Amino acid sequence: MVSVCFYFQVHQPERLRKYSVFDIGNNSNYFDEQKNKEIIRKVARKCYLPANNLLLRLIKKHKGRFKVSFSISGVALEQFEKYAPEVIYSFRQLARTGCVEFLNETYYHSLAFLFDKEEFKEQVLMHKKKIKDLFGQEPKAFRNTELIYNNELASFVQSLGYKTILAEGADHILGWRSPNYVYTPKTANKMKLLLKNYKLSDDVAFRFSNKGWEEYPLTVDKYAQWVSAANGNGYVVNLFMDYETFGEHQWEDTGIFEFLEHLPSEILKHPDNDFVTVSEASSRYPVVAELDIHNFVSWADIERDLSAWLGNSLQNAAANELYKIGRLVKETNDPKLLNDWRKLTTSDHFYYMCIKWFSDGDVHKYFNPYETPYEGFIAFMNVLNDIVIRIRELKQKKKQSNAESYTLNSETSSSSHSFISDTPSTHLFNINTHLNAEQSKGTSDTTHFSNQES
Amino acid sequence: MRNTLKVLMLGWELPPFFAGGVGMVCYHLTRALCQQGVDIIYVMPFGPRMIRSDYMRILIADHLFPRMRFRLKEIDSLLGAYETPESYDEEFRKYLASLSPRERAKALYGPNVFQEAYLFARKVRLIAMQEDFDIIHAHDHWTFPAAIEAKKATGKPLVIHVHITEFDKTGGMSVNQRVYEIERAGMHAADLIIVVSNFIKQRLINSYGVPPDKIRVVHNAAEAMNTNVYHDASKIKETDKIVLFIGRITLQKGPDYFVEAAKKVLEKDPNVKFIMAGTGDMLPRIIERVAELGIADKFIFPGFVTREEVAKLNKIADVFVMPSVSEPFGIVPLEAMWQETPAIISKQSGVSEVLNHVLKVDFWDVNDIANKILAVLHYRNLHDQLKHHGLLEVRSMTWEEPARKCIEIYKEVLRRK
Repeated sequence: MVSVCFYFQVHQPERLRKYSVFDIGNNSNYFDEQKNKEIIRKVARKCYLPANNLLLRLIKKHKGRFKVSFSISGVALEQFEKYAPEVIYSFRQLARTGCVEFLNETYYHSLAFLFDKEEFKEQVLMHKKKIKDLFGQEPKAFRNTELIYNNELASFVQSLGYKTILAEGADHILGWRSPNYVYTPKTANKMKLLLKNYKLSDDVAFRFSNKGWEEYPLTVDKYAQWVSAANGNGYVVNLFMDYETFGEHQWEDTGIFEFLEHLPSEILKHPDNDFVTVSEASSRYPVVAELDIHNFVSWADIERDLSAWLGNSLQNAAANELYKIGRLVKETNDPKLLNDWRKLTTSDHFYYMCIKWFSDGDVHKYFNPYETPYEGFIAFMNVLNDIVIRIRELKQKKKQSNAESYTLNSETSSSSHSFISDTPSTHLFNINTHLNAEQSKGTSDTTHFSNQES
Repeated sequence: MRNTLKVLMLGWELPPFFAGGVGMVCYHLTRALCQQGVDIIYVMPFGPRMIRSDYMRILIADHLFPRMRFRLKEIDSLLGAYETPESYDEEFRKYLASLSPRERAKALYGPNVFQEAYLFARKVRLIAMQEDFDIIHAHDHWTFPAAIEAKKATGKPLVIHVHITEFDKTGGMSVNQRVYEIERAGMHAADLIIVVSNFIKQRLINSYGVPPDKIRVVHNAAEAMNTNVYHDASKIKETDKIVLFIGRITLQKGPDYFVEAAKKVLEKDPNVKFIMAGTGDMLPRIIERVAELGIADKFIFPGFVTREEVAKLNKIADVFVMPSVSEPFGIVPLEAMWQETPAIISKQSGVSEVLNHVLKVDFWDVNDIANKILAVLHYRNLHDQLKHHGLLEVRSMTWEEPARKCIEIYKEVLRRK
C-alpha cells in the first residue's frame, strides 16, 4: 500500500520599496504596496484561483479519496484579504470539503527560531489563531519556514503540543534510509517526522518543463508508476512543494494543470494506493526509526542548509541587527511598529541578499525584486535605521509623559541623530545610555535601561 | 581553409605608442587571440621605427610607403605649412615625440585626421593586395575607410569593432557629420560588427540603421593591474571618508551629477571629501557649481592624473563613482575594483552589463547615487562584501573569453562566404 501525501506551501512576502537614506526619519512607509498588490493579483490569477478550482473539482470527483494539505503563511493570508479576497474564499471552500488539512507555521514566514525563541512562539500562536479564524481548523502538524529543521526545533515544537513535523528528506540526513517511512525526532519521541521525497517532488516542481531532462515530457502514467514503485519499500510518498509550481513556476502552457488533473485517477487506478493528509499519514503509520539531526537542514538550494538566508556577512548583519532590537520594539507597546518590525522578519528579505550567484543564483535572481543583492541590503538597513529612530522617539514620548519634569534637551532630539550605520542598534543603546545617564545620574551600563522602564 | 586563421587587423594605435583606451583593448585582445592560435598582421598608420611584438607582425603604413603623403595645402593644423611633404613629415614626427601621451593622442586625432584616414586607406589597399590572410578586422572608425578599401581590393570578409561612437563622445549634442559618415559607411560595408556592449548595440540600431542580426556583442575584459601601490592619506582619513571620481570632466562622464549627489551626501554626513580627478571643458563650470553650493572645502581637484596616480587614488578612496551619461564600455570602475574600492556605476554603461559586484544607478538619479554612497560609507559589511567580491570578479575577467568569441565570429563570417 502506498499513500500519497501532498503538501503545498503558499507564501508571498511583503516586499520593501527602495527605501532610501533620505526616507530615514521622514517617512515610515516601508512596503511597496503597489508591487505587492500586483504580484498577489497576478499569482492569484495564474495559480491560486485556477489551482484551487481544480483541486475542488478533483475532491468532488473522487468523492473524498483525493486529499491535500496546505501551509499558508500569515503574511500571504493578510495580503489575500487586502488584495484578492476571492482567494481566501476559495481556500475556505476547500476547507469545507473535509479533505484539506491546514498546517501551522510562523505567521511571518520567519527565521525567528534561529534568533529569538520567544518571538518564534508568538508568531506560531498568531498563525494558529489565524488558521482557526479563517478555516475553522486547529492545526496539529507543524512545518517551519523553508522546512528548516533540527533536533532542537523538534523538541521545542513538541512542547507546543504538535503531533507531526515536516522536514526535507535530504540525503545527508537519511543516508541509506528511505523518505517513504515515518520517523520520530530523537529529541521529541511523542511527535512524528515526515520527510519530503525530494526526488519525486522536484520532478514536478523543478523538472516538469525542462526539455533537457531525459525524462521529459513527464506523463501522468510514468509518474504514477514511479510513485507506485514505493510499494514494498515504504508507506507514504511525501510530495512537498510550493503551490506556485502550478501556473507560476511552471506556466499553464507547460501542461502542469492537465498533469495535476489526471494524476489522482492514475494513482488511484492501483487498488493499493490512496491519498492522505499530513496528519493522517502521521497517525496511520508506525515509526520505523529515530532520526538524530544536529545541524539545520532546509529544502533550499543544492546545499539544503541555511546558506540561502544566512550565508554571507550582509545577511548575518541584517538578521542580527533586526533581532537585536526586537525586545526594544516590544517595549514600546506600539502595535504599528511591532507589525512593521515583524514583517521584516520574513525570510525572503534575507534571501534577496544572497550572493551565491553562480550555482543557485539564477533561482534567487528570478524571485528577487532588487537588481542586485546589495540593493536589498541597503533598503533593509535603511528601514532598520528608521525603526531605531521610531523606538527612540516613542521612548522619549513615554518618558515625557511619565516624568513631567523631564524635558528633552536638543542633544537627544531625534533630528540630530540621523546618522546611519549597519549596527543601528548600537546607536540605540548609546542613546539609551545617554537617556539613562540623564535620569539616574551616572550609570552608563547599557543593560539597565530597560529595567528602568519597568 | 588553413588550420590557422590569418587576420589582417587594422588599428589606429597600440601601446606604448599612443596608448588610449582602444589601443589598450587592441593590445590585450591581439595577445589573447594569438595565444589561441590566430595569426595577426597588425597594421597601423604611425609608430616608432623599431616597434616589434613577440606574438604578431606589426606593419607601420607610414614606414612602408614613406613617400606617400597627403598634400600640404590640405593641412589645416596648428603646425602651419611646410615646404615639402618630407619636411612636414619630419616635423610631425618630432612634434609627436615632444608631446606627452595625452597631447600626442590629441594631435593624432586632430584636424588632420580625416586626411590621414584616407591616406591610410590607400596604403592599406596596397598592403592587403600583397599579404596573405582570411579576414579583415578593423578597430576604431578612423580605420574604416582603410578596411573598406582592403575589402574591395581582396574580396575578403570584413569585421569591424566598434568601441565608441560619435554620439557617445558628444552626448548627441554636436555630432560631427563627417565622422558620422565614416562610421556609418564602415558599419554598412562590414559583414559582421563587433560591439563592446548591448548599450552600444542599441546605439548602432537606433542611430546608424544597422540591422540587429549583423551585430555581435563582445564585452571587454579587465587588464590585470598592479595592486601593490601605497599612498599615505592618513591625514585626510583621520577625519574624513573619500569619494572618488576619475575621468574627463566632460558632459559624457556626468561630473555635474556627481556634484549634486555630493551635496546630498554632505547634508547627511559632513565628514566626507570628494576627489574629482581629470580635466575637461566642463571643469570651470563644475568648480563654479561647487562654490555655489557652498561645498568647495569638501572638494579636491587634482587635475590630470597619471596611471600610477589613478591607482593610488583608487587605493585610498572609500568608494568610487562613475555617473557617466553614456559609456559604451567604461574600464575605470574595473581599476577601482582592482584596488579593492567598491564602485557605484551608471546603468547607462556597457560595463554594468557584465559586473555583478558593484552598485548600479541611473546617472540622473542623484538621490539614489547619494543613497548608495552613504550606504557604502556607513554599512561596513556592504563595503567589505563589495570590496572582496569585486576583486574576485575583476580577477576572473580575463581576455581569453573575448578572444574566443572573436574567433567564433571569424568562423561565422567565413562560413557565410
